[in-house]
Amino acid sequence: MPPFHTDVKEPKPSRGGLTALGWLALSLVVLYLPNESQQEMASLLRGSLLWPFVMTQETLARARVHAADTEMLQAQVDSLSSVISSQNTLVEENDGLRDLLQLSRRLPSKFVAAGVIRPGTPGSESMFLLDAGVRRGVHANTPVVVGRGLLGVVREARATSSVGMDWTHPQFRASAMTLDGAVYGMVLASQGRFREDTRLLVDGIPFHQELSLGTILVTSGLGGLYPRGIPIGAVEEEAEARAGWRRSYWLRPFVEPGQATHVLVLVSGGEGLDQSGLWAAEDSVPLMMLDGEAGGAQDLPENPTDGPGG
Amino acid sequence: MRSPRRVWGVVGLLVFVHLLLHLSLGIGDRAPDLLVIALLIAAREVGVGRGAGLGFALGLLDDALSVLAFGANTLALTLVGAGGARTRDLFVGDSLVFLTSYLVLGKWSRDLIHWIAVGERMREPFVDAILVQAPIAAAYAAVVGLVVISVIGLGWESVR
Repeated sequence: MPPFHTDVKEPKPSRGGLTALGWLALSLVVLYLPNESQQEMASLLRGSLLWPFVMTQETLARARVHAADTEMLQAQVDSLSSVISSQNTLVEENDGLRDLLQLSRRLPSKFVAAGVIRPGTPGSESMFLLDAGVRRGVHANTPVVVGRGLLGVVREARATSSVGMDWTHPQFRASAMTLDGAVYGMVLASQGRFREDTRLLVDGIPFHQELSLGTILVTSGLGGLYPRGIPIGAVEEEAEARAGWRRSYWLRPFVEPGQATHVLVLVSGGEGLDQSGLWAAEDSVPLMMLDGEAGGAQDLPENPTDGPGG
Repeated sequence: MRSPRRVWGVVGLLVFVHLLLHLSLGIGDRAPDLLVIALLIAAREVGVGRGAGLGFALGLLDDALSVLAFGANTLALTLVGAGGARTRDLFVGDSLVFLTSYLVLGKWSRDLIHWIAVGERMREPFVDAILVQAPIAAAYAAVVGLVVISVIGLGWESVR
């Protein structure tokens, strides 16, 4: 009797299945690549395949800025002109005092104006593109500010464009202090239930030091990333108080990331200097005044343009 | 008639429009996720390996603008591409019910995998992200996908 053989064969993985597994493995490799390699890959794609789309958005953003209300711009120019003319005597006085004290001249800060482009793709919620890059002096870890205060920091700079993150990014950190420099803490983004719910939190305030509602916080200059004196936000309410240890407070940010269309990038001369003189009281405080929380005004110095570095 | 040339033309057009809406115009979540619609349409035409490869390429494009979790979109679209291509072997036909389910589940799966891949620190709560926002986005994508399929006429007669 001939032996019985079944026709059933061991199932072999198909070629397509193996290829799919290969792609899957590659995607896992991409996910766990070091941060630097991931940024290089992203830069390569942004500079090649996505370049026409990025350029289109740059052009549109520029057109939007040009279409801004000219009357409002004229009013701002007039205000700036009056501020500059009124400060001429202060500059002379300052120079005279510096000569008397034999102090060297203050290094000038250099800002570069740039347009902000926001991609609307998943995962890019806390990032923005700038139409200024290394050629204009922008480099990684350069602070990005707008008229009212700190927006974020540049993460990566290319020849003509750069990528930055705003304060809603989970990795955002800035050393902060009160205007009088009496209280120091660390400002960070606290994630809410939704992306739109992200708030600024100042943590690490010593328990014996209490901040009143409306107290304005500025960058302290510690750590060397952000120069001293850039406004961040005002205290809104106490978040947490661990008995005997520390306090934390929710802040109302002066800059709403979604509203920033044109920014200034601090490209040089800002390191270790006090930038508080560049922000007048009226730049940031109205946000508080409008909501009937005028408490912040009491924390401002009488002449906020007289920064220690001036 | 559904010809490969027409299908790939539609897929290319969807990818182009997606980048135009999301990147050039910066519309964000208000614009549908045309990338996943393009992938799901293409995946019905190719094998599992090519579906995964296409998903990988489209995911990389999406990740190029991500600073939160680079690679999460790539992983999500690779798996969706492979899964979409696999449905060819499992489900035959192109009824309206099947296509709707296919597009809704494809988009929802993409959001679920992305949510898992971005990591605990960066993601929103599960209920809000996956049970509230993701189904709405999936329904939106499915409606747009069905409109694209019926208007451009990819040969799925039952949809028209």
